[in-house]
Amino acid sequence: MNLKTINIAHVRLISLYWSRYAVRSGSGLVYLMIALVFGLSVAHIIIMPVERLMALQKKQIGQENPQLIRKTIIDIGQPIIQFVLGVKSFEQVTKEAASTQMHRQNDTSSTAHSGNNNSAFDPWTNFLIEKKPALLSVIFLILIFGMPFVISFLAFNQISGDVQNHGLRYLLLRTERCNIFFGRFIGTTFFSTAVMAIIVATITFYLGMKVRIYPASDLAIWAVQGFLALAILMVPYIAVCSLISASVDSPFLSLVLAKVVIAGVLLMAILGGFAWKPAKYILYALPWGWQNNLIHPAPAHWLGAVIASLAYTAFFLTLGYIRFETRDL
Amino acid sequence: MNEEKRPGGLTALAVINFIFSGWGLIGLIGLAAFFALIGKIPTDNMQEAQKAQIEALQNMGLPVFIIIFLLSLLSSVLLLLSGIGYLKQKKFLGRTIGNIYAVITIISSVVSGILFAPDLGGGFNIMTIVGLIYPVLTLILLNTTFKEDLTN
Repeated sequence: MNLKTINIAHVRLISLYWSRYAVRSGSGLVYLMIALVFGLSVAHIIIMPVERLMALQKKQIGQENPQLIRKTIIDIGQPIIQFVLGVKSFEQVTKEAASTQMHRQNDTSSTAHSGNNNSAFDPWTNFLIEKKPALLSVIFLILIFGMPFVISFLAFNQISGDVQNHGLRYLLLRTERCNIFFGRFIGTTFFSTAVMAIIVATITFYLGMKVRIYPASDLAIWAVQGFLALAILMVPYIAVCSLISASVDSPFLSLVLAKVVIAGVLLMAILGGFAWKPAKYILYALPWGWQNNLIHPAPAHWLGAVIASLAYTAFFLTLGYIRFETRDL
Repeated sequence: MNEEKRPGGLTALAVINFIFSGWGLIGLIGLAAFFALIGKIPTDNMQEAQKAQIEALQNMGLPVFIIIFLLSLLSSVLLLLSGIGYLKQKKFLGRTIGNIYAVITIISSVVSGILFAPDLGGGFNIMTIVGLIYPVLTLILLNTTFKEDLTN
């Protein structure tokens, strides 16, 4: 490793150029399209039933009742969020849902029962669906799960394309390898963060202006926290793509490998876990295992997740840089 | 500027244009078939929301249908032509036609949102924003990032 040759001005110049070049090169454009359509479609799928419920309520009782809408969202969202966070298994969630249904049919005092049920929430679920705007929390959870699959469309071609056409040889007359490697990584991260900001801002603006069931200040604060969580989450996945891109000569192979690695780790952990329980720990080869903690209420959890994120990034970047520094171009 | 220097983003834009144009043309066939059969759909056993949607479509009338059909056809043709223009890096076929497509699509999205009932796909929702992503991106990119590439 030859980090002594790192030049901040060069890294800055390369990262700025790279983030602007991302759209021109095609990968940034494709990522922008896929990320925006995915993010906003997720929001639409979550928000649309609520809007229909509001329209129905207005038709039936002549006015909207945001409190009742929020309560309905909590009732429906609670078991789903508990399952997604791994607080309860699928069997537990379905069993509880069935018993709640039976209680409601037998017991006419449903409000008292519902109150007891709500108080039985674990703190994490309670934080996400009661203390914070639940709709935004659900959207964040889906984006946290889905965005790692999308990020490789942006980050797959940081190095491999220029290795394939030998373009890097001309660039290396003017700067060092470490400046190119880290500059492009930072440029890609900057672009990804900007796209996340657009998605979160659009969804929050829509919720605030059109749906209007949460106070604007709550929405804004939670949106900033969610945006930071998403932006930080993308960094280790971009580093994985940097490592793969620095290791292979073909951009297409780099894209396929990035997809296989990111999705494969999750798939192997889930499928392997059925056959042999400890196989579920494969999940921790990438941030999959702890990434939901980025929106945990306890500082120890979210801070731990941020530190883990940085540690993964440092690990993959180091491997990628060693490979790039020593390889034949 | 020769075609060998065509940026990857412009090629990607052309490919996306062809895909959307193909979808649009297939959608036109579906739209025509749907309009031909809409009067024969029984609404007795449907839920209220579905019933309202079908009834709104049944009451839409031929002139409105023709306007929607022609706008969709125009949009698909403009996408196809501008896609060819991007590949050949033509100023008129690429940049001008691409800009016309983007402006027409943005205007028609806004107008249909205002004029049509929510049951007919009108009103404003997140899918309206999703529908505006590509034309807005086209408008921005053709006049900034790829401005100097479409000069033939």
